[in-house]
Amino acid sequence: MARIGVFVCHCGLNIARTVDVERVVEAARCLPGVAFAADYAYMCSDPGQGLIQTAIQEQDLDGVVVAACSPSMHEATFRKAAQSVGLNPYRVEVANIREQVAWPHQRAPEHATRKAAQIVGALVEKVRRDERLQPLTHPITRRALVVGGGIAGLTVALNVADGGYPVVLVERADRLGGKVAQLASLYLDGGQGERRLWERIEAVRHHPLIEVLTEAEVVGFEGYVGNFTVHVEPSDPAADASATYDVGAVVLATGFDLYPKERLPEYGGGRLADVVDSLAFERMLGANEILRPSDGRVPREVVWIQCAGSRSPERHRPYCSKICCMCAAKQTIAYRQAVPEGQAFVFYIDIRSQGRGYDEFVQRAMETYDVVYLRGKVSRVVERNGRLEVWGVDTLTGRAARVEADLVVLMAAAVPSAGSGELARLLRVGCDENGFFAEAHPKLHPVESLTAGVYLAGAGQFPKDVPESVAQASGAASKVLKLFAREVLASDPAVAVVDEQLCAGCGLCVPACPYDARELHPWREVATVNAALCQSCGACAVVCQNKATTVRNMTTEQVLAMIEAVL
Amino acid sequence: MTAGRDGVTRSPATGGHSSSGLPSSVLVVGAGIAGMQAALDVADAGYEAVLVERLPSIGGRMAQLSETFPTLDCAQCILTPRTVEVGHHEQIRLLTYAEVEEIQGQAGDFRVRVRRRPAYVDWEACTGCGLCQEKCPTTVVSEFERGVGKRKAIYTLSPQAVPNKPVIDATHCLHVQRDRCGACQKLCPVGAVDFDQQESVVEIPCAAIILATGYSLYGLERMPEYGGGRVPDVIDALAFERLLSSSGPTAGQIRRPSDGREPREVVFIQCAGSRDPRGHLSYCSKICCMVTAKQATLYRHRVHGGQAYVFYIDIRAAGKGYDEFTQRAMEDEDVVYLRGKVSRLFRDRDHVIVWGADTLSNRQVQIAADLVVVAPALQPHPETARLAQMLDLPTDEHGWLLPLDSNLRPVETRRPGIFLAGSATGPMDIPETVAHASGAAAQALKLLSRC
Repeated sequence: MARIGVFVCHCGLNIARTVDVERVVEAARCLPGVAFAADYAYMCSDPGQGLIQTAIQEQDLDGVVVAACSPSMHEATFRKAAQSVGLNPYRVEVANIREQVAWPHQRAPEHATRKAAQIVGALVEKVRRDERLQPLTHPITRRALVVGGGIAGLTVALNVADGGYPVVLVERADRLGGKVAQLASLYLDGGQGERRLWERIEAVRHHPLIEVLTEAEVVGFEGYVGNFTVHVEPSDPAADASATYDVGAVVLATGFDLYPKERLPEYGGGRLADVVDSLAFERMLGANEILRPSDGRVPREVVWIQCAGSRSPERHRPYCSKICCMCAAKQTIAYRQAVPEGQAFVFYIDIRSQGRGYDEFVQRAMETYDVVYLRGKVSRVVERNGRLEVWGVDTLTGRAARVEADLVVLMAAAVPSAGSGELARLLRVGCDENGFFAEAHPKLHPVESLTAGVYLAGAGQFPKDVPESVAQASGAASKVLKLFAREVLASDPAVAVVDEQLCAGCGLCVPACPYDARELHPWREVATVNAALCQSCGACAVVCQNKATTVRNMTTEQVLAMIEAVL
Repeated sequence: MTAGRDGVTRSPATGGHSSSGLPSSVLVVGAGIAGMQAALDVADAGYEAVLVERLPSIGGRMAQLSETFPTLDCAQCILTPRTVEVGHHEQIRLLTYAEVEEIQGQAGDFRVRVRRRPAYVDWEACTGCGLCQEKCPTTVVSEFERGVGKRKAIYTLSPQAVPNKPVIDATHCLHVQRDRCGACQKLCPVGAVDFDQQESVVEIPCAAIILATGYSLYGLERMPEYGGGRVPDVIDALAFERLLSSSGPTAGQIRRPSDGREPREVVFIQCAGSRDPRGHLSYCSKICCMVTAKQATLYRHRVHGGQAYVFYIDIRAAGKGYDEFTQRAMEDEDVVYLRGKVSRLFRDRDHVIVWGADTLSNRQVQIAADLVVVAPALQPHPETARLAQMLDLPTDEHGWLLPLDSNLRPVETRRPGIFLAGSATGPMDIPETVAHASGAAAQALKLLSRC
């Protein structure tokens, strides 16, 4: 007879406010195979885990059901706690009575309590039939691929290589440096930005452990964490030099592009020669030639339009591009220094200068450089007598504002760089609704993607300025270093398995698998499972005509027993 | 010797050495989300991390938060797995209720003296049953609850504390002060209470040091224009987090401090002490706009029909989903955003009268509020100044630690082997802090790989 312990968590009041926890415990005690049941305020806390561990030892338990929050939250916590006192971790299951009971049924506590007891009953039936599994292990290829040679990619490559591991850096353009190399200066860097970027590029170029591939793109990708195979081809299809690399980790540092000014017709983008974007103005600053494109004259009045394409859910992009406020302030100061008699205007919605010295920097633009900041959106830019007229509103005076200008600089939205969507699909990395790479958790996993072994750095995840990109890139590097510190990788053994006696080699499971984990054996007429890719979804088990495929610890027998327990 | 999870004093680490005989461990100062992340990254890479925390348990500011923006994930729910992981990690040694006293040596070979305060409880024996806290007769205002809740003289910061071992607050304990009571000692089932416990000093050899000392809030008492801390229904943002928190003193019910009533009109004041070079601090504190938008949203979820007002200068919602979140606060939750500063506020019977300006309509606004929540400026934690002086590290004029290069070396310092993580370098929200802290860990790992 099984000796199963049931542990019901209050989650403070999250569960206990709705579910009558004591009744769930009472009900559990009456279930066949249950030797012990208890409840506690926070089962995940130290004393809560201690309670489980003590019970396993004192009651000689051979299985555990914890009724608490979602298993994605704490299954690992409880399995580890049980394992440390000698219980096989795969004999520990979590009954989700928070997200699936207490929260959705707050208005029906009686129903919720009954449902919680039923879910516990089902999980007890599952644990009774759970196998004692051992984790699977896979070797790791300790080499990293970094996609993108901007400041983020350079930083990742250098950090990983300095940690002692080889890196392949793939850059689409013909040179390294990315967007930062196109900037005339960085704000608040004491004029050192260009030199330091150049130093970093040189360090990457000459690092014995870094292989730099410029004018190259990733075109093929397969495998799983620790064991990826990547196909790289030259950007120029005429060149014939494709190569294949085995890598253990990938960092995506593909950065951003500017929202095309042609898509901002209300501001004359693409139509009026003297309406330029922020990077075009950087080039003027860098060349020390601030001249109007139309006639080569020095512009005496320049208008910067912020949020050009940003914060515009109806027409353009809904989000704030984060970096434009400071970039505009930097450009106005640089312009006023280059053209002391010139006048600078900035149309803005909110001034977002958040960072060390940033707010003070914008204040300096306003006070020392007499930059006129106008709070309001620009409705349109028109051409009149060879000059531009910017029609906007000054929301502080409530009046319409018309500013004549020689040059208009659009602080165009930052969008994911071209091709990052295809790359995301190739690498099975999710994107958010705006096309930026999705991080694994918005708070606590900001540099991890949802695909194990693929990490994110820089503005490809969301617009970031240089210090934030660099810090995040170092963060991504630490994940690679952490992964490579191990000799082998452990993975979940509760995956699909094939009973070769029953398998007819029909192949139905192959297209059913969404993770490319199923294949037919090249010569024996049976189907195989790549355990590292299998996510235990069970789709293959469902289509298998002979019941040859089962998912370990989620067998047909287990599922039927669980259903019976609920009915 | 493997590190313990309970933070019990033991002899200096002997396992944390490389083959060269030099230490191969990393000392992390501060166990908030930054320090925990840095320690985990170092420890997961196979090196020992020694995590030193001034308070009795780890988790830092995030442990005080109710929900997090922009997803409204419950902070406790996402933090607890992490504190538990840190507490149980075989490669992490916790030294809580302790302070760094002295640091000698250089990159690759530091020696750090850490002084541990006496908890008056033998943590090795204590089971964390909580009986002592239940029976202690002395109740005092809790710093962790930010003044809106109470604790006992023997206490843990929260029920989910890691390590879940209590400390005795000697200044309020009847036994320590007047040789009376002693209830905890008499009742402790394992005899863990030890009034003779002395402070101890631990020597830690380490290859690198990561400073993650975090921030503190500009005090209400320094802002007479907002009542100077003397108006009971004017509280700071962290106190409001405790009111919102389901594990807080009101179990998530919004109750104002003066009379326990549910406030129907709440005014949120942003940039309190920030962006004010003449009166207070010149810089923007970066996180308050989102904190306020979140708090106003949560207030509206908790108090149906309640009205929230926000006074702001600029709305700084720059981050993934941040601007959209603030828009939802305005449009879906009907939070009234008023662009302008509050000139003063005062108590009038059972209201707090708020006088402010609405610069968009160019009018004066007066609101009779039931509760005012002030979002004070972030300041470097006082520990930061002490450590900066000890290590001869530069700070800016406000006391934030300066990185080697603000653009290209944001986590390094001018002293090799000493790295910065999180808001010790300036205000940062949680995701930025976590990425930054991992960045600091990468620098430490790089250094260790060469040892």
